[in-house]
Amino acid sequence: MTVAENLFENLRLELRRGCLTLAVLAQLRREHYGYTLRKDLDERGLEIDESTLYPLLRRLESQGLLLSEWREEEKRNKRFYRLSPEGEQILARLLDEWNTINTSVTRILEQPSAESSK
Amino acid sequence: MELLDRYLQAVKKLLPRRRQDDIIAELRANMESQIEDKESELGRPLTEGEFEDLLRRMGPPVVVASRYQPQQYLIGPTFFPIYTYVMRIALLWAFIVCIIVFAVVLPLTTKEPGNVAGSLFNIPGILIQTAGWITLVFAAIEFASTRYPQMCPPIEGITTKWHPQSLPPLEKNTSPGCKQRSFAQAVAEVFFGALFLAWLLLIPRYPFVILGPGAFYLQASPFALAPVWWTFFWCAVGFNSLQVAWKCVDLARGTWRFPNRLQQTAFKIFGLVPMIVLLTARDHMYVILKNPDADQLRYGQSLDQTNNGIHYGVAVLCTILVLQVAFDLWKWARDGYRLREEAR
Repeated sequence: MTVAENLFENLRLELRRGCLTLAVLAQLRREHYGYTLRKDLDERGLEIDESTLYPLLRRLESQGLLLSEWREEEKRNKRFYRLSPEGEQILARLLDEWNTINTSVTRILEQPSAESSK
Repeated sequence: MELLDRYLQAVKKLLPRRRQDDIIAELRANMESQIEDKESELGRPLTEGEFEDLLRRMGPPVVVASRYQPQQYLIGPTFFPIYTYVMRIALLWAFIVCIIVFAVVLPLTTKEPGNVAGSLFNIPGILIQTAGWITLVFAAIEFASTRYPQMCPPIEGITTKWHPQSLPPLEKNTSPGCKQRSFAQAVAEVFFGALFLAWLLLIPRYPFVILGPGAFYLQASPFALAPVWWTFFWCAVGFNSLQVAWKCVDLARGTWRFPNRLQQTAFKIFGLVPMIVLLTARDHMYVILKNPDADQLRYGQSLDQTNNGIHYGVAVLCTILVLQVAFDLWKWARDGYRLREEAR
């Protein structure tokens, strides 16, 4: 991996980290267990490794943003996650922040570049 | 499924004991669902190769397990900038103290020059110890602030009482010829300055460090150095001590980046003092006879020639130094005039 590729990869991971948390919180407004959550996100175009998603769920739960319970489904015990009331508040605030950033970046990208404006 | 069991066993061993079973049960449920899903999609059981691919995508057990660990820093981003700042200052002062003790105090108190050299080799060890202690203290602060944030008050002067007016003044623009010095260069100047000072201080006890074998010839010869050389020597020691001390202060204050013009000129003027001492030696006596009564007739003429030669040499050297100082002062005045003109 070249220095430029390495730099890009680091920046990409940095950019994705916050977005993934937001997407996971948003997707867990409806109850899911790990595998179906991953599949749902994948179907909506957000690919996420199992080794990233499952620990993330644990971390969000320990932070009080998710609630979980073990329940039997299709003859197998699974741990189901859903957004906690605190998680809902945080998600609403994060979405506001996301929308603000998204709007600003879009506005910045739409404006003519310095060179072309000359 | 044996491979899955082996994989989960490997992950389990690396997980925190308290949560091992819970995490492994969840991982197993998720992975089994994934396998079932894949198999129903293909309409057949997974081959060993496909199963291996699935585990490979999941990642090595050590990586998977590490992601379940709480995120920990030895020194986190909040304290890291303060840590590097404290580390730099502490290492600098430890270095300065070591240099003063080993290169200046020790030569004055020990009779063995080997002790001085040996002590200098201890400096890296002392610096590593200092860095270790600072890291340990900051790691403890990080640990306490992460685990018990309510017990850690905000750091005064850094987060609470900081005021923009406390910022240092703008560094003055230097003349175009004045290049910025690196930190390593500034430290090297102190280090070699102190070493030179140590070497100077060894001269009275061990004249061979300057004269080499000549020291023994001088001892055996009818000639001796005149007392003016001692005055010259202590002036030189004083001048070099001043230089080292001034550079230490520069390092501590962080003003080492741009060489100060006043400082450079002052050094050149102070550097003239030992030379003037030599130039004004009484009767231009630099070398004297040990037994003037016995040897005056035999060596008197060559002694006068030697003393006159040294005197002319010193006079030429003094003239060069004075001209250098005058040139520096002229350049200083010229740059000052240009700056004033530009400011208008």
